[in-house]
Amino acid sequence: MGRVMTTTLKVGDRLSSVTREVTNEKMIEFEKCVWDRGRNSHSDINAAKADGISRTIASGQNQMAFLHELLEKNFGDSWVYGGKISVRYIHPVYAGDKLTANGIVAELIEHDGKPGVVVQVWCENQNGVKTSAGTVRAAQPSDKRSWIRAREGAPT
Amino acid sequence: MPDVEAENSVWASIPVGDDLGTLDYVLTEQMVADYCRVVDNPHAAYPTVAARHPANLFYRKYAAVMRVPNMGHDSEYFNPPIPGKRITISGRIADKYIRRGYTYLVVEATAVDEDGRLIERSKLVGLARAVGKQAAHGNIAKKWGA
Repeated sequence: MGRVMTTTLKVGDRLSSVTREVTNEKMIEFEKCVWDRGRNSHSDINAAKADGISRTIASGQNQMAFLHELLEKNFGDSWVYGGKISVRYIHPVYAGDKLTANGIVAELIEHDGKPGVVVQVWCENQNGVKTSAGTVRAAQPSDKRSWIRAREGAPT
Repeated sequence: MPDVEAENSVWASIPVGDDLGTLDYVLTEQMVADYCRVVDNPHAAYPTVAARHPANLFYRKYAAVMRVPNMGHDSEYFNPPIPGKRITISGRIADKYIRRGYTYLVVEATAVDEDGRLIERSKLVGLARAVGKQAAHGNIAKKWGA
């Protein structure tokens, strides 16, 4: 799953970014997978108009999924087992947008008793407009991906 | 400035600390596979991102009177869910506030699996909109030009 970062991060370091295209089909599917939410403003144009918007917009959790991938890729177990995120959705995301999830290290901290970092994270669209922004706290990156082995049934 | 609290009497009536009860479901292999495919991440650790635990708990109790379009999340992740395990989520109203003339609710949900493993704790920051009075995304549309 991409490059495994094992170096110790410093203030100003950029995370290896993740870019994903948002399609209408995937917006609809996202509303159905794991927990079907029925038709809503993220998947149905009439529901969107009833909610006061002119077209469907991707859900905030759809952006959150891309931020998760960014953090899994760059932090491994350090994100997955104990990471914290605070994010706000600040601009609509539409079908056809290409989102890039980014991060830059803002601060060195202690996180759950270990050396850690605060990372400024954001998603931006193909025009460079930020669509979400927030902060992440996690221990320094790990080269372990224990959840993948656990899901495959291997001992971690 | 209008009295925002009086205008949104439903929001005013929801107490901080309000218990939203519990819900449970089994996270199946198929759900995990579907999520990984939809987000183009074959090893996504938390398919529960799509499950919207806080929103589901909130709407079970308040769907008839209030909408909380998602303006943000504050979440902590502890142990990725294991396919096939039953997940129980419990929730409460963690906070409420008025900012720039808008009413917000913060809905917290904690997810634990059948073995007692803590999976995640997630807070939804929702722009509180009374059903039938305000279009759920009306202010978002105004703010974002959507």
